[in-house]
Amino acid sequence: MSNDFAQFQDAFFDEAAEHLAVVEEGLLELEQHPEDLDLLNKIFRSAHSIKGTAGMFGFNAVAQFTHKMETLLDLLRNGQKAVSPSIADLLLKSTDCLKTLIESVKTGAAVDEETARRLTTELAAASASDSQPAVAGSTNKVAPAGSAANCSGDRTYVIAWTPPEWLFQRGLDPLQTFKELKNLGSLTEVTLDMSRLPELADIDSEKCYLSWGMQLTTDKDQTVIESAFEFVREDSALSIQLVENKGAQAQSLITETSASAETESPKPLGEILVESGVVSRETLDQALAQQKRVGQILVEQKAATPQQVEQALQKQRQQESAAQAKKTDTTSIRVDTAKIDKLINLVGELVITQSMLSDLGSRFEMRQLPVLLERMVELERNTREIQERVMSIRMLPIGTAFARFPRLVRDLSAKAGKKIQLVLSGEETELDKTVIESIGDPLTHLVRNSADHGLEPPEERLDNNKPEVGTIRLNAFHEGGTICITVEDDGRGLNRDKILAKAIKQGLISESEKLTDDQIWPLVFKPGFSTAEKITDISGRGVGMDVVKRNIENLGGTVSIKTRKGYGTTFTLKLPLTLAIIDGMTVRVGKETYIIPLLSILESIQPKAELIKTVVGKGELINVRGTYIPMVRLYEVFASEPEYTDPKEAILLILETEGERVAVMVDEILGQQQVVIKSMEQNFRKVEGVAGATILGDGRVGFIVDVRGVLEIARHGHPVAA
Amino acid sequence: MDKETKDLNQQAGLSTDGSQFLTFSLGDELYGVDILRVQEIKGYTAVTKIPNTPSHIKGVLNLRGTIVPIVELRTKFGMPTIDYTTFTVIIVVVVQDKVMGLVVDAVSDVLDIEKKDIQSAPDFGNQVDVTFLNGVGKSGDKLISLLDIDRLLLDSAGKDLSKDVPVAAAA
Repeated sequence: MSNDFAQFQDAFFDEAAEHLAVVEEGLLELEQHPEDLDLLNKIFRSAHSIKGTAGMFGFNAVAQFTHKMETLLDLLRNGQKAVSPSIADLLLKSTDCLKTLIESVKTGAAVDEETARRLTTELAAASASDSQPAVAGSTNKVAPAGSAANCSGDRTYVIAWTPPEWLFQRGLDPLQTFKELKNLGSLTEVTLDMSRLPELADIDSEKCYLSWGMQLTTDKDQTVIESAFEFVREDSALSIQLVENKGAQAQSLITETSASAETESPKPLGEILVESGVVSRETLDQALAQQKRVGQILVEQKAATPQQVEQALQKQRQQESAAQAKKTDTTSIRVDTAKIDKLINLVGELVITQSMLSDLGSRFEMRQLPVLLERMVELERNTREIQERVMSIRMLPIGTAFARFPRLVRDLSAKAGKKIQLVLSGEETELDKTVIESIGDPLTHLVRNSADHGLEPPEERLDNNKPEVGTIRLNAFHEGGTICITVEDDGRGLNRDKILAKAIKQGLISESEKLTDDQIWPLVFKPGFSTAEKITDISGRGVGMDVVKRNIENLGGTVSIKTRKGYGTTFTLKLPLTLAIIDGMTVRVGKETYIIPLLSILESIQPKAELIKTVVGKGELINVRGTYIPMVRLYEVFASEPEYTDPKEAILLILETEGERVAVMVDEILGQQQVVIKSMEQNFRKVEGVAGATILGDGRVGFIVDVRGVLEIARHGHPVAA
Repeated sequence: MDKETKDLNQQAGLSTDGSQFLTFSLGDELYGVDILRVQEIKGYTAVTKIPNTPSHIKGVLNLRGTIVPIVELRTKFGMPTIDYTTFTVIIVVVVQDKVMGLVVDAVSDVLDIEKKDIQSAPDFGNQVDVTFLNGVGKSGDKLISLLDIDRLLLDSAGKDLSKDVPVAAAA
């Protein structure tokens, strides 16, 4: 799509996503309060904005579909039709469809035209069944014509109308004409032709550059239709044609296809021929079956070897996937102007400090040293503040991640036949955009899980003296340097015996093992673990809980479970506020510098020789105030040259990861600092035992230690034999 | 096309029929990479070794704020390593969306090699692995092995650099 709007398209997609969210949210609320007119207006406005902008960008499929939704919404808004569950459901489904339509425009992916078409018809049906009494109410005379639309006397006319340019200058409104036509019968396939629209700069706002095409099904004859155009007839290019045979319809189909071809990818030739009835589907399929790929032909003609073709194809695929990746990669963020203003002020201050410093530097004398130091302090303060502000730009309220759940829970409760209410709190808690984006899926899974496994069916709840309606609570709050998100249900709680039985069956634990509750619950996070008796399409396939755990851990967070039989289950996710900066301890091993996340450090000790014991001659343990903790030599894990191999001379850092403690041996602690996390994956790949990289004070790269990974390497050896 | 226009084209940096290649040396051998894939050339600076990676991954470098992996091309090809000299440079290339550096003995020239002067990579059977070559080019009496850096630096999945075995030693 290479039009001048290309640069604004991203903005359109962002905006459309926002409007869609408003529509969806509004519709869900509307189900609860069907008579809320403000709400309806809000939904209508958002739908209208989508239609308008989509039309502007030439996304006709989107615009037309939204138009159909809007028609129905308009009827609801005008009180001509009451909001019924079926209508709300239809609108919600249409919102989903609209989402996929927009998505397909964005990524160029295939559209599910079938659904779109079905919904369009349903929408039209819902609107039509309602518009008739409305018409009857407003203009009595025309009512029979409207309701007679399906009688045998109906004829379909194809009308093409190009109004005169002076239309607006005389204060005429084309809409009036359409209203009149609508009263004559059922008006369908209205298309707007904007091809004569000049460049924005050349537009004369009083001139009409538009023309329309439409189909009118009515029992009136042509003169009546022409009379609808009476006021605008002069200088108009008007053609009214009676559609009788299939051929003409096919004709119109061909022209229609070619008209929409500008914006959508054109239909293959064969499709058009079949649609217009020139060839049959079978003939086309046969012809297509004979068609060969270019590569095949080249090989047959000995112009290329099969390997060369294969290579070329591979290259093509690579380019395709690269292009695909690029297409979907651009994201943007909306920032409060106040945040930006503050940032600009701070940058201003930074510039002033910088110029003062360079002024000082150009004629520096030793006695000015205190002034210099003072300026340096100022510079440091400025930099730190700017850093904080810039980070805050990436911070979004978690409500954006919660927004999808009302809909999800609504659908789930309908599907599972349970009554569920969702309570959200702490939506205003801010955290990093990347974190918000990445917790969406794990949270969805937990909520699904609660709805499907956690909550009981209504009868069972009543039997257990619980309210019929089950509750799922989503809460977010700050705690220390982390953010906590809880997913809580008041369902039946985890079943200890079932989990144990399953774990023994899967060979995860042996029958003789005596486990405490806290050891049992984490078993549900093992891959392939599901105790659901029957597999539902909501959950229960045994994939998921392990994915939840892995996703959260990839973000540097943890998941924990609290459960009480008969009273419900709470999953608690703890996540870092941001992924971009961490507090770290810089340590040295030989010549290498590593950063250890401060959050995982419990303490550091210089061990006495007698505190270190070995097991089977190899496994080292250190006694920390009575508890033996496994010891890991960092230089062994990272295969580097240490300064000390004797623990007495080295330093031991006691680290904690997922409730496990480990003592990591390093040469020296250099200090504590905030480090900016740089991605290793961007240009390389994930490295075991390394959570990321950062740039040290001297410009060199230092690695951030992934404590869990280090422990894994120490236990199971290196993933790549060095 | 007469020689004069061709020279003019070359001066203007226009490729005639073929492509421009940045050539560099490893020992006595000359190699070329498509110039459009080269982001920059920088002198060798110390890198940070990445733990537990194959030996041809020299380490990572801070290139104006991004972390760039550095591949020791000699090790990758199974050639003996040599001490770095003042000529040792890092050629920073873009492989799909990734930026990587190649340590080479020295850069030599930017050459226009016409299509007719490029022949497909020789087949040594399984004695020498040449799958990472696009072909070999002639320029005067020099032979230049033209590298397919996508193949060289990425495996078929397009991600992983962790292939353990240096390609030339695979035999």
